[in-house]
Amino acid sequence: MKKKVRILWLGLITCNGNTHSFLNYTHLEQFFNDFEFIYHPIIDSEYSLEDIISQDVACDILLIEGAIADDFIKADVLGIDIIKKYSNIVSKIVTVGTCATFGGIFKESHYKNVSGLHFREEKRTEKYNHLFEKTISISGCPIHPETLVSTLYAIKKGLDLKLDSYLRPKEYFAYTVHNGCTRNEYFEYKVDHHHFGELEGCMFYDHGCQGPLTHGSCNKILWNEINSKTRAGLPCMGCTEPSFPKQNLFSTKKNMGIPEFLPVGVNKRVYLTLAGITKAFKIDRLQKKLFDD
Amino acid sequence: MIKLIEKIEGEAKLNFHFKNNKIDKVDVDFMSTRHIEDILKGKSPLDALVINPRVCGICGHAHLIATVRALEDCYEKIEISNKAKIIRELTLNFELIQNHFKWFYLTIFPLFGLKQNVMKAVTPSQLMGKAIALFGGQYPHTSYAIVGGVVCEITQMDLIKLEHYIDETIGFFEKNLLDVDVQMLQDCDNVMNLLSKSGDLVDILNLIETNGWLEYGKSYDRFIVFGESSYFAKGKSIKTRVMHNLSLADVLESASTTSFAKSVHYHGKYYEVGPLARAMVKKTPLIKDAHRKYKDSMFTRILARVCEISQLLLHCKSLIAELDLSEPSYIKPKMEITSFNSSGSSAVEAARGTLIHKVVIEDSLIKSYEIITPTQWNLCGGVNENHGVSQKAMIGLENTEIAELVFKSFDVCSVCTTH
Repeated sequence: MKKKVRILWLGLITCNGNTHSFLNYTHLEQFFNDFEFIYHPIIDSEYSLEDIISQDVACDILLIEGAIADDFIKADVLGIDIIKKYSNIVSKIVTVGTCATFGGIFKESHYKNVSGLHFREEKRTEKYNHLFEKTISISGCPIHPETLVSTLYAIKKGLDLKLDSYLRPKEYFAYTVHNGCTRNEYFEYKVDHHHFGELEGCMFYDHGCQGPLTHGSCNKILWNEINSKTRAGLPCMGCTEPSFPKQNLFSTKKNMGIPEFLPVGVNKRVYLTLAGITKAFKIDRLQKKLFDD
Repeated sequence: MIKLIEKIEGEAKLNFHFKNNKIDKVDVDFMSTRHIEDILKGKSPLDALVINPRVCGICGHAHLIATVRALEDCYEKIEISNKAKIIRELTLNFELIQNHFKWFYLTIFPLFGLKQNVMKAVTPSQLMGKAIALFGGQYPHTSYAIVGGVVCEITQMDLIKLEHYIDETIGFFEKNLLDVDVQMLQDCDNVMNLLSKSGDLVDILNLIETNGWLEYGKSYDRFIVFGESSYFAKGKSIKTRVMHNLSLADVLESASTTSFAKSVHYHGKYYEVGPLARAMVKKTPLIKDAHRKYKDSMFTRILARVCEISQLLLHCKSLIAELDLSEPSYIKPKMEITSFNSSGSSAVEAARGTLIHKVVIEDSLIKSYEIITPTQWNLCGGVNENHGVSQKAMIGLENTEIAELVFKSFDVCSVCTTH
């Protein structure tokens, strides 16, 4: 029997959303041919959580789901003590989700020094510096299952993954969520009258969509294989980013009519120039309903 | 004797006290919390639509629907199209269905000495995830239901796909869980007729019988349902007597000194919530028959949860037939929710039972937010000698293994319980 890669999936301050998103991976049977969990929050494993805590179980990859805090206790021991022990045993660590990467929603819980493993929002936490080289971040609230599983295979194959400054694989995080959105034309030609509940329109101008400033492959590999939030008509909430969650998520903050947060790499002057030009377009088909007679 | 219960979306501790070799008392302890209600304070009300699905990875959609309804309840009058109401109900039902499949194959199977079947859990759950994503863009953690309706527009072509997801899930149910036409199962009123069929559900039910566990897991035989829908009826059932007038104001939480989970009671009494409660209040013939024979035992509880899958799948088909696509998905409210001080509450039926949200909005921000989860009703320790529902169900059992099974027959969710 071939040797499988052994994974410890450790849940800390979490909603388990990544656990369930992982279960949406469409080739799980294949995955289980190559990987095994020494512990997982819901999938049966050879060891119990108590075994994991009381023994030093051989393991290749540590997955951390959920925010990390100095005083968070799991099964009577400090969560950080479990991290300390297994980070020495494994050859790679993957932070699974935005909480484990940046602190996410639960950085606001009342624990002591809540953060992701290496970041609290954009800021580096120095505490686990010695693990920085070992770590890959998969952010997202939740993670996209393919992003996680393909990264695990890349580790298994020893591929040299290119990572961004937050340790996220560029393969998935070099894109913006805007790439591939079916509402792109409304953005490009600045057709700025979006109403919820319609196939038409872009949520960037009024309804807080962060697609053009958020790194992720939501509209490239799609969710549940079929859709994305922005395609459905829901603004991107920027859930892969250190700043998640920002405030007033359903409205676009503007200064003198200009969105405060502009697309990645676009400065205000260029944006204004471009907006002026696109305003000159009057594209009839984008003013009408898509399925007009 | 203290036992750590694992793989319940987190952990819980059960402290068993024995008397004459039988369980005399069980303390239930949920050990951590994430302070969601505090995180919501001071936030913009609409941001709760994004934060609250993150209460729970497996029933976050119920939290979304509870949030949007609590916010809409803040309005004296708000118009929601029938189409939006139906779509919300559909996606909520899809979430219940995926949950029940996962619970049966991931949690219940191994407790009966069978191998956990991940593929049978995820195959139908993924289909239901697709069905939610069709409207909401993704599952888990969409926020597609907003004050005034839903963000999506759907077409006839979308509905064709949706019907495929549902029919394929029905096919899976008939092929794997219970070899009976779901339409005929709907009319079945004798549980004995099922026990001679084949399927994974039948195997489990027969194991309960052959192991001599038919009497196990009985509690107060008191049930409550607050979340009304076109399928579920609101009401309480006490020893099969059903009453329909209930008031949310009579639901109270009490903090525990030992556990992060607060217990919940109605008029000072504990009630069971969830699929069995829903079937008792709705008087579903098959479940009523099982209850007549085995009362509120784990047999009836497991049967009720699994049969809810087929009932909801069929109901979803009839809901789709009612959709009028010419209606708007979203009607912009006449006033912004931030423009007035108000409070609102909601109750929805989540996979594990009644979920209640209460919000107070003051000066454009959330002043307070209260969440009462189904698992609080079922699993929290009682105050003093007044045992909680699951505690009562474990009293008198001989060992901790069977007690764990009874405990998990309620479908435990640690993250929800403590949120």
